[in-house]
Amino acid sequence: MTSLLSIRDLRVEFDTARGPLAAVRGVSLDIEAGESVGIVGESGSGKTVMSRSTMGLLRGRKVRKTGSVVYNGQELLTLDLKSLRELWGTNIAMIFQDPMTTLNPVRRIGSQMREGLVKRLGLSKEDANKRCLELLKLVHFPDPQEALRKYPHQLSGGMRQRVMIAMAVACKPKVLFADEPTTALDVTVQAQVLDLLEDLRKELDMAMVIVTHDLGVVAGHTDKIAVMYAGEVVEFAPTRELFANTKMPYTEALMKSIPRLDRQAEKRMPVIPGRPPDPTEHSPGCSFAPRCQYAQQKCRDEHPALEDAGNGHMYRCFFPIGGR
Amino acid sequence: MAVKRKPIGFYLASGWMGLCVLMSTVGGFLPLPNWKVGDYDNLGVGLFSPGHLLGTDTSGIDQLSAVINGTRLSLTISFTAAILGILIGGFLGILAAYSRGWLDSVILMYFNVSLSVPTIILALALVSIFASSDSMGQTSALERIGTLILTLAIVLIPILGRIARASALSWTGRDFVLAAKAMGMKPLQIMWNHILPNVVPTLLSIGFLAAGVLIVVEGGLAILGAGVLDGSTWGAMLATNRQLLTIYPHTTLIPAAAIAMTVLSLNYFADYIRNIIDGRESRL
Repeated sequence: MTSLLSIRDLRVEFDTARGPLAAVRGVSLDIEAGESVGIVGESGSGKTVMSRSTMGLLRGRKVRKTGSVVYNGQELLTLDLKSLRELWGTNIAMIFQDPMTTLNPVRRIGSQMREGLVKRLGLSKEDANKRCLELLKLVHFPDPQEALRKYPHQLSGGMRQRVMIAMAVACKPKVLFADEPTTALDVTVQAQVLDLLEDLRKELDMAMVIVTHDLGVVAGHTDKIAVMYAGEVVEFAPTRELFANTKMPYTEALMKSIPRLDRQAEKRMPVIPGRPPDPTEHSPGCSFAPRCQYAQQKCRDEHPALEDAGNGHMYRCFFPIGGR
Repeated sequence: MAVKRKPIGFYLASGWMGLCVLMSTVGGFLPLPNWKVGDYDNLGVGLFSPGHLLGTDTSGIDQLSAVINGTRLSLTISFTAAILGILIGGFLGILAAYSRGWLDSVILMYFNVSLSVPTIILALALVSIFASSDSMGQTSALERIGTLILTLAIVLIPILGRIARASALSWTGRDFVLAAKAMGMKPLQIMWNHILPNVVPTLLSIGFLAAGVLIVVEGGLAILGAGVLDGSTWGAMLATNRQLLTIYPHTTLIPAAAIAMTVLSLNYFADYIRNIIDGRESRL
């Protein structure tokens, strides 16, 4: 197995006043070069913590990480900060959720975009400027020259996210993490940004990990999807397979709660009752059991292991939909 | 940013400060009586006396000439001290916010300890240590001024430092810092390129406020005998003439008015900068 990025049994715990909080509990995931993987889950399912700790951005005395994250033959979890910094931007990059806060308000777009090119790639200011214009064209800016002179507050949310994307791909990373890249954007702009990310992925031949709570976002733009719940991957399958042959009741419930136009208007929108479990205390059984409509006694007593259904489809359930 | 009509206060404040700058640069060339030499024919004359527009004090010193001359040192002392305070305090504050470890604790402890010492006492102590009269009863004026600037800066550093630290801390948690980090930027680059530009406007705003306060403090120190000795600052003029407030009120009111107008103008600038910052924050 020579995946570009290989995550094995990653556990991330935080020391809190109420005791250890396990945000990620044994996630394994392989990301091949050039492929696009979606990570879907509710708020608090550990998807952001997972992506940030994979990159190595989460560090400190109160964070405990076990398992292994291997990028290109390098173990990232134990790598020192200096070597990690060498990888950030040029090998692994990240796009963040809110484009309103990820740009420095007091600096012009051009100076912020140039920063990475000059400091990381060692370009001269003129070359960096040229590259900025190319990048802005790449993300479909109508007037790149003009945009370079603007301050972030003079751009709309969608425009700012494009700038962020342009900055993230500026140093041609091999893996791009997109942490809820469209959550803060208008629905109309969401589709544009997702298409843009898809185009860039193909053009620059990078692997992409889209983290989102919206199955609809990843449905048309990923090769594989991992569904996370309470810090675990509960179902993992190629996108088509996941939608055609859903095994895990949680995934089914997520799909049902996507609003649909063809549903009868009088009917209430289906929701998943309850809340995700408290990450400081874990039940011995399946984490989803308390909210699962198919749950049986076994689900509450035993923790289900990840099972292989063939076709690269993995699920974590004793009583999968459609049988084993 | 849209071009807005600036409020009238902005022009008044700019006007006065502009006048101050003029007075302190070319004021010495005006055809006015020497501010050091008394006119013994006109001791303590009131406002609008012939030859003395703002009158004279009991030594016959022309008050207009003296107040114009006082501008230079008053502003130099307060602005130099304020700039020193901004530079050193800002550096220490940002360093503390950035290191977040034992260095942060040490710097913070220094701030807290120096804040607990009363300003006036500290100033009096420093002046009496560094710039007391020598055996001949003489003190070099330059020594006094230097000590005064140093004292005021020392008082200012912990205040500005704490503000810089708090401001820097509030920015280090922002997403764009995380984004820069994820781009592989080094901590020093992040501090310099991302935190500093956001802290500077806050420090500048407080710095103007501080410069105003320092002019008042300098006046207070002068009255206590720890200021500049001869009447070459506004504070020193106050100190020289304060006993005669009831008999010759104009001799104290003129420097007091100059101080008041300068402080008001500086406060106005501080507010003005604050407003620009607030406006920008709200657009985030």
